[in-house]
Amino acid sequence: MAVQPQKRQGFALSYIEVRGVNKFFTVRKKRSRGALFREKETVHALKDLSLDIEQGELVGYIGPNGAGKSTTVKILSGILTPEEGTVTVGGRVPWISRKNHVRRIGVVFGQRSQLWWDVPIQDSFSLLRDIYRVPDGAYQKRLGELTEALQLGDLLRTPLRLCSLGQRMRAELCGSLLHSPELLFLDEPTIGLDAVSKLALRDFLRWENGQRGTTILLTTHDMEDITALSSRVMVLGHGRLLYDGAMRDLLARYDTQRTAAVRYEAPVELSGLPAGCQVARQGETFLVTYSPQAVAAGEVLERLRLAGPIAELTIQPQSVDHLIARMYREMEL
Amino acid sequence: MRAYYSIFRMRRRMETQYRGAVLGGIICQVFFGLILVAVYRAMYAGRPQSMPIEHVASYVWLQQAFFRMLLSNDPDLLDKIRTGGIAYDLCRPVHLYGYYYARILAQKLMGSLLRAVPMLAFALLLPRGWGLSLPAGAPALLCALAALALGLLCMSALENLTMGFTMRTLDHRGMQAMMNLLTITFSGNLLPLTLFPDSWQRVITLLPYAQLLDAPIRLYTGDSALSLAPGILLLQAVWTVVLVLAGCLLWRVNQRRLIIQGG
Repeated sequence: MAVQPQKRQGFALSYIEVRGVNKFFTVRKKRSRGALFREKETVHALKDLSLDIEQGELVGYIGPNGAGKSTTVKILSGILTPEEGTVTVGGRVPWISRKNHVRRIGVVFGQRSQLWWDVPIQDSFSLLRDIYRVPDGAYQKRLGELTEALQLGDLLRTPLRLCSLGQRMRAELCGSLLHSPELLFLDEPTIGLDAVSKLALRDFLRWENGQRGTTILLTTHDMEDITALSSRVMVLGHGRLLYDGAMRDLLARYDTQRTAAVRYEAPVELSGLPAGCQVARQGETFLVTYSPQAVAAGEVLERLRLAGPIAELTIQPQSVDHLIARMYREMEL
Repeated sequence: MRAYYSIFRMRRRMETQYRGAVLGGIICQVFFGLILVAVYRAMYAGRPQSMPIEHVASYVWLQQAFFRMLLSNDPDLLDKIRTGGIAYDLCRPVHLYGYYYARILAQKLMGSLLRAVPMLAFALLLPRGWGLSLPAGAPALLCALAALALGLLCMSALENLTMGFTMRTLDHRGMQAMMNLLTITFSGNLLPLTLFPDSWQRVITLLPYAQLLDAPIRLYTGDSALSLAPGILLLQAVWTVVLVLAGCLLWRVNQRRLIIQGG
């Protein structure tokens, strides 16, 4: 199932425009026998990838491990050069006008650190200020804005090594935004964060995107991030773009299962449920699974009520993680 | 320029974060200095060499005091290449070779300044023939300082070149082990170059390894006459230019065929 990028009207260039990009990596593998010789294998990381992103969008970029998400981000940020295809970001080719390009973008690689381990966070920030040549006034204003939004105030003088993971991630994000980039790449920014930190981070991203119009491309495995933040989502698998559109529509397509959990006041036998319902037991609770497209909820409820007096009843859709897992399975990822 | 200068300030802050390590380094280097001088004194007691023992002692102390300039690789930088943390540096609006050069230079300079000052003060207090003697003269001292500065630029360029090769081999250990061996031997740290056979010296002193410490120390003690200073400085400058150009070229090629490790 190949998906064409959403076509735009007229001839105007999109802010980010990727056309027919192919990227190959050579992987050396050890042979099963003999340590001296290695086999070379070429991995086709991105296959004819095309996509468009407009200024001010907040786009979720998902796909299983090894799908090519990080590779895309690295190409868009000018670190890697694709073997084939064209890429422009704001009219610039990232890997050709590298210095000019990276001045305008911010990147957060969730599992790496750009801040210096041994020194207070604000010293790392000062270095970033000098690297990006942010004027002092603008820097102070921006730093104040970011430290407030990310609740970093007290941490600035703490060496990074004394910060918790969540504090570190907030500091990393702050560091990537000090030069007020027009485009922000977030590569798994919520990895390893607790619930409070996650929610705070999402609020902040929404604010940054809404207030400043920063274009954000968010790569994550946390589906909550995507549903909470972005209306548009792109799904990548085996280096191909498999879906590009509204998160809502994507979920609707795979949202084909409801589970009613019901517990009775006395032991009962369930019978006469509509065709297509599946029943499982978990202790005293019956789990009745049905498809909302095939069976009306009323019919199921009617049968459940007739079986005996109900002590407790909940009906839930599948979690987003389940939906995505099924989607990956069906797309054969 | 501000970015590159900022790197220096950062390195100074890093050095002052672990004061215990600085003290430990000083004690270790002083210990080595004393042992080495004792060994050369014992050797001289049996069979004096052409170079006076006072010069040998000065040579040893200056080598020990600036050891961090000679042999200090930034584990952060090497680790970045190995684990892919270099990705962040690649998306900074700076000249990459220059950025790394500044980091290496800052590491060598800031690291050794903190250690050299107390160590040299200590070595000056030691009795004659055991400690550091005064320079051959004020002009000699000035020439030695100029040679030290140029030597530092040269050595940093050499190390940045090694860094460029590390980006290709992806693991720094082999490269670094070889580099350390060559540096320790041909810089005069293992054995003062002045004690090598004369025919060897003619070649060794031309190598870039000899530029950082051997060249300035000889000017300091007066083993190299002042009239030789222009030639020495010129050689250092030539090496620096050659190594910087080679490094820039290698880094440029590297950037084109880069792979970021670890996803």
